[in-house]
Amino acid sequence: MLNEEALATHRQELRRGTIVLACLLLLSRPNYGYALLDALEKSGFEVDANTLYPLLRRLEKQGLLTSEWNTDDSRPRKFYATSKEGAALADTLKRDWHALDTAFLSLKDES
Amino acid sequence: MTATSSPTDRYVAATLRSLPERQRQDIEAELRALIADAIDDRREAGVDVDVAERQVLIELGAPARLAASYTDRSLHLIGPEFYLDYVRILKVLLSTLVPVWFVIFALVTFADGSPAAVAFGAALYSALGTAMSIAFFTTLVFAIIERVSAVRTKRRANWDPSSLPEVRDSRGYFKELIGGVVFLAVIVVALVLTETLGTVEGPEGAEIGPIASGLWESGLFYIALLIAIASIAFHLLSYYTGWSTSNAIANTVFVVLFAVPAIWLAASGRLLSEDYFRAVGWPEGANVIAVVVIVVVILLTASDAVGGWVRASKKRRTR
Repeated sequence: MLNEEALATHRQELRRGTIVLACLLLLSRPNYGYALLDALEKSGFEVDANTLYPLLRRLEKQGLLTSEWNTDDSRPRKFYATSKEGAALADTLKRDWHALDTAFLSLKDES
Repeated sequence: MTATSSPTDRYVAATLRSLPERQRQDIEAELRALIADAIDDRREAGVDVDVAERQVLIELGAPARLAASYTDRSLHLIGPEFYLDYVRILKVLLSTLVPVWFVIFALVTFADGSPAAVAFGAALYSALGTAMSIAFFTTLVFAIIERVSAVRTKRRANWDPSSLPEVRDSRGYFKELIGGVVFLAVIVVALVLTETLGTVEGPEGAEIGPIASGLWESGLFYIALLIAIASIAFHLLSYYTGWSTSNAIANTVFVVLFAVPAIWLAASGRLLSEDYFRAVGWPEGANVIAVVVIVVVILLTASDAVGGWVRASKKRRTR
């Protein structure tokens, strides 16, 4: 049996790219960091806060997300939203995901 | 500390400390809101406020790590790309220079009249110091190479199977580098030996060595040694970046910086002590050795400078 650490690493590697896609999809409606973390968890995407927050800034820097400070509430929060480029990337990644899924299914048929 | 800051204040401060100035304000505001949101969420679930704050900060993890992922910065001194070369060079330098230094130092101290045990102890102490200096400077050079991101991107961008060095060539170059280090060590050791062991009584009754005493005391040799060490570090850097025209130019500058003063000193008779050679019964020795020094310096430095240009032009042709 694979030791726990190695197992965790493999699962983390597999999940890594999916968080980007999930963020781009969820942020078609603007949201702030903590609420997004919550939404991801509720939809079944496991992600750590300390991975997500820097990731949001990287995506923003790449122009895939836009951001805006919302000061309507008593606590100012930084809201992120998917940009046009981000939405285009989300479409591409989604197609890739489906292609991979089909590929895995065909593997299953052969074995 | 007079006023105790909250754990969140301390956490945010620790994270921001290693972030670039222009990012700080924005990240601070966002991070504080994120932490406050997370704490509120837990309090609503009935967790005590102090416990909630502690849990939230633990989940965010070590501030240095969080800051590093905000900046995409590496948390290592020497990465996998250079690590093996680093270890290899460090091993070679330590295993050759330190024992040589130890033996020479022990012999010199012993010949100087110290008891064997004292000479041994002093040599051991000095060898340890040498080992530490070698380790420090090798590490420093590699840490700089690792951090000059231009070196890494250049290395990756230029990578192409046709740009791979000849197997013989690359090993030969390493040997050349190590040869340069050993040559330098031999020169230094020979100088130190003759100046300490080979002294004779001069006309004024003082002990004099073959090097003109004013020059030996002026510290010029340390500067020459520094230039030589810098040149070796530069060769190492160029080995990784690949020899470009600018490398060849810089190498030529190094060579001129070293060769012109050296040749001038030897040619003007300021390098060697004529009194010394008269005292050892070889009055024309100073002139003969000065000529030898000039020829050797010209040959070595010219071949080094030309070598840089040859490597730079080879690099261009393969592309």
